[in-house]
Amino acid sequence: MLEVRDLKVSFHTEQGPARAIDGVSFDVAEGEILGVVGESGSGKTVSLLAVMGLITDPNVVIEGSIKYQGRELVGLPAKEMRKLRGREIAMIFQDPMTALTPVYTIGWQIAEQIRAHNSISAKQAEQRAIDLLAEVNIANPHEAIHRYPHQLSGGMRQRAVIAMALSCNPSLLVADEPTTALDVTVQAQILDLVRKLQKNHKSAVVFITHDMGVIAEIADRVMVMYAGRIVERGNKVALFSNPLHPYTKALLDSIPLLEGERPRRLKSIPGSPPALLNRPKGCAFAPRCANRFEACASVPVLPNAGHDAACFKVNP
Amino acid sequence: MTVLYEAKNVSKRFTVGSRFSATGKLTLNAVDNVSLSIKAGETLGLVGESGCGKSTLGRCMTRLYEISHGTLVFDGDDISQKSLRQLRPLRAKLQMVFQDPSASLNPRRRVGDLIGEPLRIHAKMNHREIADRVSELLTLVGLSPDHATRFQHEFSGGQRQRIGIARAIAVNPKLIVLDEPVSALDVSVQAQIVNLLADLQEKLNLTYVFIAHDLSVVRQVSTRIAVMYLGSIVEIGNIEDIFAKPAHPYTQALISAVPEPDIKKAGMRSRIILTGDVPSPVNPPSGCRFHPRCPIAQDRCRMERPVLRVHNSKQQAACHFPL
Repeated sequence: MLEVRDLKVSFHTEQGPARAIDGVSFDVAEGEILGVVGESGSGKTVSLLAVMGLITDPNVVIEGSIKYQGRELVGLPAKEMRKLRGREIAMIFQDPMTALTPVYTIGWQIAEQIRAHNSISAKQAEQRAIDLLAEVNIANPHEAIHRYPHQLSGGMRQRAVIAMALSCNPSLLVADEPTTALDVTVQAQILDLVRKLQKNHKSAVVFITHDMGVIAEIADRVMVMYAGRIVERGNKVALFSNPLHPYTKALLDSIPLLEGERPRRLKSIPGSPPALLNRPKGCAFAPRCANRFEACASVPVLPNAGHDAACFKVNP
Repeated sequence: MTVLYEAKNVSKRFTVGSRFSATGKLTLNAVDNVSLSIKAGETLGLVGESGCGKSTLGRCMTRLYEISHGTLVFDGDDISQKSLRQLRPLRAKLQMVFQDPSASLNPRRRVGDLIGEPLRIHAKMNHREIADRVSELLTLVGLSPDHATRFQHEFSGGQRQRIGIARAIAVNPKLIVLDEPVSALDVSVQAQIVNLLADLQEKLNLTYVFIAHDLSVVRQVSTRIAVMYLGSIVEIGNIEDIFAKPAHPYTQALISAVPEPDIKKAGMRSRIILTGDVPSPVNPPSGCRFHPRCPIAQDRCRMERPVLRVHNSKQQAACHFPL
């Protein structure tokens, strides 16, 4: 359904061009949940913002191809993109407060979104807003449509934003860290809701997060990003039970567990993720990798197999 | 083990809103009659969701906030009534590390000055001595002595937190209150800081209060854990006892809600999904504060507020019907 090929996103800075995304290719199939995991600055958000056509800064160069149901999105006029966005592809952000305007009620905001894409009456749109709020488990939806965002709790706001994203039955939903700002008990509710809605609406979901635990709960397939490239991808069960890339392995090892013996020290990855303007040549993870050898001076490729890693140890 | 710190019936109230707002002035009980003691050398994990009062309690314990009620005894001294001047010598023994190091480190001062400031104030050292001690501290937290001349923006998030830790341990404290020290860091860097804190604790005989919302990190670092909900402690005890068999339904739900990165175990864990959100502390529910979300609440829970009681001769839980 979505085909991204060799996507490159560069920012022009005073110190020269900074390549935030360096040759990322991936597909999203209909009805699946693709988990995108990575640390801050790994490019997970920027790559999906490019897909959404939400990078409009003139200092940014987007290269490569993004095809949605066969249609090329790179270079698509803003007007065409707007028809697609919200209707076919919807997005949920980390902070629901920035996605909602504080001066209108949530019912008004959901109805506006529906009426922007469908020609129905205000009355019908309001009814649809009530139905949507009920669907995302907001108690008393008849009353809730008259509330302003500041009158809702964080979890309720995120539900309202999800309701808005689902209002036009999008076939692709991009969720960018939708639970990061929430408490764990509310996060569990939202994850449950996303799973339920995905089943009912049969939308494909791209779920961006830095939390390996959340990915293990929700995704069908996983894509691990590091310094603007995909380092490993595969089916969730395969990737978690047999991680190939040293970064994925180390990341999983560094998470403290909830059960079993507590190690005296956690296994940790030395150093920190590279800065955007100062990325190592060759494999970006090599300076922090325990298994690096001469070959790592050049960039490893990601073969096109089911479960694969961009690493010279895995694919000599 | 000797008791190093004791908080008795501590409350902290804030006044919110103004007399001109629609609701008028309201009282918010951020910390509501909390008692706990911390033994020398242990790490007490303080967990709970946002708004439960864990950070407020941490700030009350270091007297960054004035408490509304109660007593704080640190190292045999009642510090709750002391004036700021009287508190000064004690501050060296009682330090704090904050969540966001870029906000707690002055961007216009060099790292050497930031770490050296407590030495100048508390240890009354001269320039030479301060420079030597700063180099020693930087090495101790895994940075290099020549970092002393740099500014905080030249460092990554993990390195900045190391600077914050170096500043806290500079004056040989006994107790450090760590307020979410790793939650702003990337996963791969979190483990480094968690290990650093464990190493320093061993080397310097430190006692920690570790405030966090991430239960798996708290389990890794703590000897005991206190779970807070709406300003009160609902369960407190040894980390092994509470994780093996939580007595309070809230603790059980909190542990079960943590997403499990181990795919083999993920399917086997039973998950309790609580309904609703944490109620507002301005207008808390009657009886047990947790009853509107509790899966096993009964009439008694709506009327009568439970107190902390020993359960299974191990942990203490504030519940009428402990699990």
